[in-house]
Amino acid sequence: MKTNQREVGRVTPCAPSWDCCVSIYIPGAHGVTRPTLATLRTFITLLFLLALIYQPAFAATEVESAFDTANKLYAENKFTDAAVAYEKLTTKGTISPALYFNLGNAQFKAGQIGHAIAAYRSAETIAPRDPDLSANLQFARNRVQGPTIKSSAWQRWLGTLTANEWTWFCVAGVWITFGLLITKQIKPSFAPALRNWTWLATGSTAILCVCLALAFSQNVGQQFAIVTVADATVRNSPLDQSPSTFTAHDGAELRVLDSKDDWLQVTDDTRRIGWLKRDSATLLPQHNSNSVRD
Amino acid sequence: MESQSYEISSPPRTRRSLKLLRWAAVLFFAVIFTSHAAGFKASLDRDSVIVGESVTLTLQFNDAQLSGTPNLPVIPGVQVVGTSSSQQNSIGLDGKMTTVQSFAFTLVANQPGDITIPALQMNLNGQRASSPPVKLKVLREDPSSPPPSLATNMAFLWLVFPKKELYVGEAVVGELRLYLRQEVGSINNTQIPQLTGDGFILGKYNQGQQFKRNVGNASFTVIPMPFAATAIKTGPLTIGPVNGSVTLLGGRADFFGRYSQSAQATLAVEARTIQSLPLPVENTPPLFTGAVGSYTMTASVGPTNVATGDPITVRVQISGRGALDAITLPQDKTWDGFKAYPPTSSVEVSDQFGFQGTKTFEQILSPENSDVHELPSFSFSYFDPDVKQFRTLTHPATKLTVRPGGAAVAPVIDAKSGNASSDTPPPQQDIVPIKQRLGTLSKTFAPLITRPVFIVAQATPLLAFLAAFIWRKRADSFANNPRLRRQLQVEATIRTGMENIRQLAAQNKSDEFFAELAHLLQEKLGERLDTSASGITEAVIDEKLRPRGVSDLTLTELHELFQACNLARYAPVKSSHELAAIIPRLESALKKLDEVKA
Repeated sequence: MKTNQREVGRVTPCAPSWDCCVSIYIPGAHGVTRPTLATLRTFITLLFLLALIYQPAFAATEVESAFDTANKLYAENKFTDAAVAYEKLTTKGTISPALYFNLGNAQFKAGQIGHAIAAYRSAETIAPRDPDLSANLQFARNRVQGPTIKSSAWQRWLGTLTANEWTWFCVAGVWITFGLLITKQIKPSFAPALRNWTWLATGSTAILCVCLALAFSQNVGQQFAIVTVADATVRNSPLDQSPSTFTAHDGAELRVLDSKDDWLQVTDDTRRIGWLKRDSATLLPQHNSNSVRD
Repeated sequence: MESQSYEISSPPRTRRSLKLLRWAAVLFFAVIFTSHAAGFKASLDRDSVIVGESVTLTLQFNDAQLSGTPNLPVIPGVQVVGTSSSQQNSIGLDGKMTTVQSFAFTLVANQPGDITIPALQMNLNGQRASSPPVKLKVLREDPSSPPPSLATNMAFLWLVFPKKELYVGEAVVGELRLYLRQEVGSINNTQIPQLTGDGFILGKYNQGQQFKRNVGNASFTVIPMPFAATAIKTGPLTIGPVNGSVTLLGGRADFFGRYSQSAQATLAVEARTIQSLPLPVENTPPLFTGAVGSYTMTASVGPTNVATGDPITVRVQISGRGALDAITLPQDKTWDGFKAYPPTSSVEVSDQFGFQGTKTFEQILSPENSDVHELPSFSFSYFDPDVKQFRTLTHPATKLTVRPGGAAVAPVIDAKSGNASSDTPPPQQDIVPIKQRLGTLSKTFAPLITRPVFIVAQATPLLAFLAAFIWRKRADSFANNPRLRRQLQVEATIRTGMENIRQLAAQNKSDEFFAELAHLLQEKLGERLDTSASGITEAVIDEKLRPRGVSDLTLTELHELFQACNLARYAPVKSSHELAAIIPRLESALKKLDEVKA
């Protein structure tokens, strides 16, 4: 079958004898031989694949550049500008502990203790064992006056691993346990030798699952409001005219119990319960913010 | 109202049990016993007794093991009538064990007067140790004895105050005594309210060592409840009254120590008037600050060779008897040529009322120039109520060598600051600086546990286990069913055999063909009839298949096949077509045999 190679962009059969061959017409490429076209096609395909592979790298380079710029602002003592620059990076969908750490530092230096604590805590969910982060978070918390929530010892222990790390440990336990059970089914002769290992794996998995449940409840299931204004009045009911229950200061961490309109029902360490204006606090964890707003 | 309970004495059985327990404790703690510097002291349970009464002298040895009871020297005026010993072990906060071995000597005073139990010398752990002398006042009769008319009561209260007159600010120890007739075995529900007094500061009751004393002709157990009293204003002051009650237990005691009789007794003490005298005005020392009592003063100054601005510590210790808490150093004392820092003070009391002990003042002085050559003398004045006059204790001036120095360094007064460990890191002054490297970037995904795909993926091991479980059950079932196993085996044999038989027919191998045919029939019939395949012959068809209701057609087919096999032995040569024509008949017969109930 004859083909009209002047039709731009049309994919046409080349020749009756080339049953499985197709060619692409490229304007101006008169007299281009078929092997050359094939090479070109391969080259374009390779370019496309490389772009796909290196696209995150290009994006990372862009983020790193913005990160360095923010660091320079910080070094020039332009803490508010640096905080804005760091915060802009966090909204791009890529995060790192260093980014939140530096954001916390910039906000702390800018006098925004509440925002700084929120940033440190966000970093802590990704890198809970970073000693610098722990030191700065503790340093910021020491500046907070008045009512707040303090973590208990077991909560701190659970917090040494992220929710995902607990999940992986738990999943590993489940897979190992079932692996042993499957082995016992396939090779019953191994059963006596595997008996103790199976019990050990089952017990460990059960403990890990409990830890995961607690860690999930602590890190993801619970929501905290971190006061970001100098003095936030926690009221008896979600009304501006309602009497004050207590006053929380910048950086105070309060547990969120409920929400209504623009109010959050919060409690502190002494189990006092009251309603806090939503705009006077930032919520953690942030991926749950929408659920509270609903 | 205050409820108190007093135990008059322990039954002998209880004492023995306690002793056994103590020795058990000694054996237990002996394992981890460590020795410390040994020492001992002597004390009396009372400092005043009536002639004929007993008093207990206790020798207490710390961290020293005595092989036997120590011997007391002969003490004029008292007689040793009994001894007992005990041992107590305790572990201090530092983890070290302390052992206290006590020997109690019961002494009976046999003549009035002031008796001094001399200093006792002992050789402890190779070291010479001695106790201070102890004084005992023996009275011919009790000056504070209740009237004999009270002897008819089973129980009564009696207030003993050491003085009828005392000076304002003077601290004394009074005693409220509960007298119980010897018929009373025990008491409970003791309700004795706190003493009140107009113009007195009165302390809480302490519990004294009970003793026996006669009132009239009756013998009583006396439970003393000493209390501290300090007069705070002048004039006639009243102390009391006190009204209370107690339940008296008596009669026979059963095995558990329960008494058969009980009675309620009312306790009452009338108010007592005490005259409080003002301190004399004449001869009042200029530096008198109101201290009343009996005191001694020691002082130390150091260092005495300093540079200008260096700290000099003046430590003043005032020891004695009186209201130690109220003692202050003269406030208007001026230290010319010195910079004076506020003094600190601490009190160490040696009695239960806080009236006996030592108060220590520490003051830091810093010479302001090198012209200072001495620390001026300083004095402490107090009023001694026993001799009814003021006394002044003076520490002489101290020579100092003051060199010209550099900048003055403020001394550290707070001793706690010196306790900080050098290992303790200094407190964080600022936040840790920012990180220069961005580190690993990650996407803001929801936690794994909240992702449905991840959760569903975790069902994989469960499903794999279920598959393995089902497979295992089937394998076990097959292993435990030999007929099923044979059926499957025969089916496999027949499948293979049919292919083989077709090849034999094509190759025109008549002998092998019929041998294979007979083998397949035997296998199938053997499996159906659950007998050995080698024992199957044509006769089986009528013997075992017919009773099972197999159709005649099938039986005929089987007969023909068996007969064909038999004929082949005698006329083995057949063509391929003839052999191939037998195969459908065989297949048909085998298929029909499948319908035969196994």
